[in-house]
Amino acid sequence: MEAPSLIEEIRFGYGPRAGASLSAGGLVPERVLAQLTAPDPGAEMWNRPPLALRVALLDQSKAEKQAEDFAKGKLGAPFPVKPVGSAQKLDPAKAPEVALAQDPAMATSPAMDKSPEMAMTATAPDMTKPADMTKSPDVPTAPKPGPDSPAANLGKQLKAMQLGDINAYIGRAATTSVGFVERLVNMWANRISVSNDSNNLGNYLQAYLDEAIRPNIAGRYADMLKAAIWHPAMQIYLTQTDSIGPKSVAGLARGKGLNENLAREFLELHSMGHGYTQTDVTEFARLLAGMANDDAGPHVNMRRVEPGKKTILGRTYTVGVPEINRLVEDVAHRPETADAVGFFVARHFIADVPPPDLVQALSVAYLAHDTQLVPVYRTLLQHPSASDPVMQKVRSPHEYAVASLRLMGLTGMEENMVGFDKGLMQVPGAMARMGQLPFRALRPDGWPEVADGWMTPPMMAARVDWAIDLARATGDRADPTALATFALGDTATPLLQRAVAGAEQRWEGLAVLFASPEFSRR
Amino acid sequence: MPNDLILSRRAFLIGCSVAASPLLTPVTFAAAPGDNRLVVIILRGAMDGLDVVRPVGDPAYAALRPTLAADSATNPRLTDFWALHPAAAGLMPMWQAGQLGFAHAVATPYRQGRSHFVGQDALENGTGGADGTQTPSHDGWLNRALTLMPGAHADTAVSVGQQRLLVLDGAHQTDHWFPVTESPLSDQGHDLLAAVNAADPLFAQPFAEAQYLVRNLKGAQVPPGPNLPYKQLGKYVADRLLGPSRIASFSFGGWDTHRQQDKTMADQLTGLTNALVAMQTGLGKAWDTTLVLAMTEFGRTARENGTCGTDHGTGGMAVLAGGALKGGKVFGTWPGLSDADLLQSRDLMPTGDVRAYPAWALRAMFGVEAAGLQSIVFPGLDLGTDPGILL
Repeated sequence: MEAPSLIEEIRFGYGPRAGASLSAGGLVPERVLAQLTAPDPGAEMWNRPPLALRVALLDQSKAEKQAEDFAKGKLGAPFPVKPVGSAQKLDPAKAPEVALAQDPAMATSPAMDKSPEMAMTATAPDMTKPADMTKSPDVPTAPKPGPDSPAANLGKQLKAMQLGDINAYIGRAATTSVGFVERLVNMWANRISVSNDSNNLGNYLQAYLDEAIRPNIAGRYADMLKAAIWHPAMQIYLTQTDSIGPKSVAGLARGKGLNENLAREFLELHSMGHGYTQTDVTEFARLLAGMANDDAGPHVNMRRVEPGKKTILGRTYTVGVPEINRLVEDVAHRPETADAVGFFVARHFIADVPPPDLVQALSVAYLAHDTQLVPVYRTLLQHPSASDPVMQKVRSPHEYAVASLRLMGLTGMEENMVGFDKGLMQVPGAMARMGQLPFRALRPDGWPEVADGWMTPPMMAARVDWAIDLARATGDRADPTALATFALGDTATPLLQRAVAGAEQRWEGLAVLFASPEFSRR
Repeated sequence: MPNDLILSRRAFLIGCSVAASPLLTPVTFAAAPGDNRLVVIILRGAMDGLDVVRPVGDPAYAALRPTLAADSATNPRLTDFWALHPAAAGLMPMWQAGQLGFAHAVATPYRQGRSHFVGQDALENGTGGADGTQTPSHDGWLNRALTLMPGAHADTAVSVGQQRLLVLDGAHQTDHWFPVTESPLSDQGHDLLAAVNAADPLFAQPFAEAQYLVRNLKGAQVPPGPNLPYKQLGKYVADRLLGPSRIASFSFGGWDTHRQQDKTMADQLTGLTNALVAMQTGLGKAWDTTLVLAMTEFGRTARENGTCGTDHGTGGMAVLAGGALKGGKVFGTWPGLSDADLLQSRDLMPTGDVRAYPAWALRAMFGVEAAGLQSIVFPGLDLGTDPGILL
């Protein structure tokens, strides 16, 4: 694949990576789109375990804890311990109409092609760098002498898996050669957001990215919505799992009822945004009641489904997986959804207040192509604003930290970094201080998509802190002036070039570059 | 840098939308003449007023709340009709002293959609629009009120406790309110940094404010301790109000209780109780001239949902506290909970505009005229008769 140009790297990627050669000239839409099908050498080191393995470990951990409690006499009866291997793979493709195979290259996520063991031990990326940079993303659990209980060990394993997920979130973007792909994965994951806010979802979110979002970024938005609404992470996050039809068998027997949370947020945040009523929300919640996705795959629990017809946005639906999918399909094709998708994409890439004609064009492309996203991207890339040399957007903390790591050829997991506490960069902690702790979006509409969300004084102070720390740790082997040109090209103003060159020491010049508004923009 | 350059318009309530977490909360202050103090708390997520101040005397209540109100017979009693959620029992001394009150069945004019985000923006903006459309200035009502107070000026905007989850997880303890460290950069490096940031219109002001925080607010460090951050938040606000600040505002999230509400509500109310008691303690004598007003974007469904929680509703509740309050009562007109009394057979019917409470407070405490309150601060508000919330 031909190397991207600088503007393609900055606006549609995570910025140029040290040592990469850049194409001369400006934006070439088809070259950016080619990233969607291009290989990403070395990316397999960031592959993560699939949900099936995670759920099996969580179940086993629960069972071991209960067994321990039983042994201590705390509990009546032991829970049968289920070996990991017996867990069935959760396959989103089992859902009728959840067709992930629009494009063979996107049929399954890379993580699911590998055995969990392979995924967890993969190391040695095909990259030229010092040996200490090639750690596995999993933080190794040091084997302690003494009788560690199975439950304690499983707990450590699950915790290490979460840390590995966070490292992969940063490291994969920091090392990728197809930055557009990674930007899209994180953009859509933020539009259909799931967060580890309170429901112990820490071990689910990476699987949600890999299984609901990533396989669909070059497919149909309708399919992405289906994969998302059926994913256990989403159902737990938006408290769908306990919603029971009030007139269902279980509802009548136990006096239980609906929970509207997922139904409402799907309409408000994931799809239409407006144009529906409270009645539509309630009817939708009636339709969703009893939906489940576990070892048996996506299905409806017939004891919990609300009987009868549901009228949503003027159409009627009955009961079952195909009916839920038909509703999602119908909503995905609504003009309100098209407008919302167009607005979201334009605002993400171009400007906090995007050009109305661009939003309109994206909306039209979306509806004209059966919610296919590639035509939306093509329309975006061909619009004059995509080539505008003025960078209007402010990088999120993730994008900002990753851009700085890329410029220095780092992954975020390096050790012995002078000036950092214990030699560790602790990128997630730095991102948290900038306002974005990985996988912990504060609201169901995800992280802020506009500059204002990242511009509070303490967040700005945290960016400056990161700039200074990273520059001190890496700046003695850098040429700040050359790096400024490599990172920013023409967008480095004469003032910035003078400031970078005029610093007392190399590292201070680099700190000025990292902490400059230009480096925070894309 | 003089203080009055620090606060941007966006910093006062509106524009801090990232602050959905109580632990990632901008606290904003304003100075004003006189001895009266006003604290406005935005309870994000839609607090279930029916669970906090329970209408146990309403014949329909118990049936609507089969699990949530199961323990109401043993709840602290406010009156024959009202009981307090047990997790807020720490507020009973305030109630008995007439320094605590509630406004029930209140709502903003936003009655369409039940969206958190539109609802919170409407609450903070003070708009009169039923669809939540903001006033043309897109700023906060408190900010507009300042323009009508002679001698008032915005002070500083401070984010408190940014290291949110590290604190919660117990993995790290923070002794900084502000996530800043001593910079090893030379003076010249700072000057260069300031110059490149000053040249960018978007970055100039936040960068200057960040520098100000780093250099001047070290004194606000508070040692870590149990019950972070609410006690400390309350103490910090009290400390600032003992200085020149007379108005403070912050947000407090986490009230979106769709499931297992009993547990979440207990945690939330413990936090709110801690914050209020810490303010009372910290303010000492100045508590006598203080009013705290905690408002939420809307209420929740009158009925429990199927998951021992409640969904988005309409009529909500505001909490009032302070020595300046003529409290010990539940304000407002109670609409009742029978099916016919509910809005759309699901929500508590709002019988009052929640904006009237801050409006009367601004009038009584800071002399803001009725005309300005009903046009500039809260467009379309009918002040109505004085609810008599202040001594």
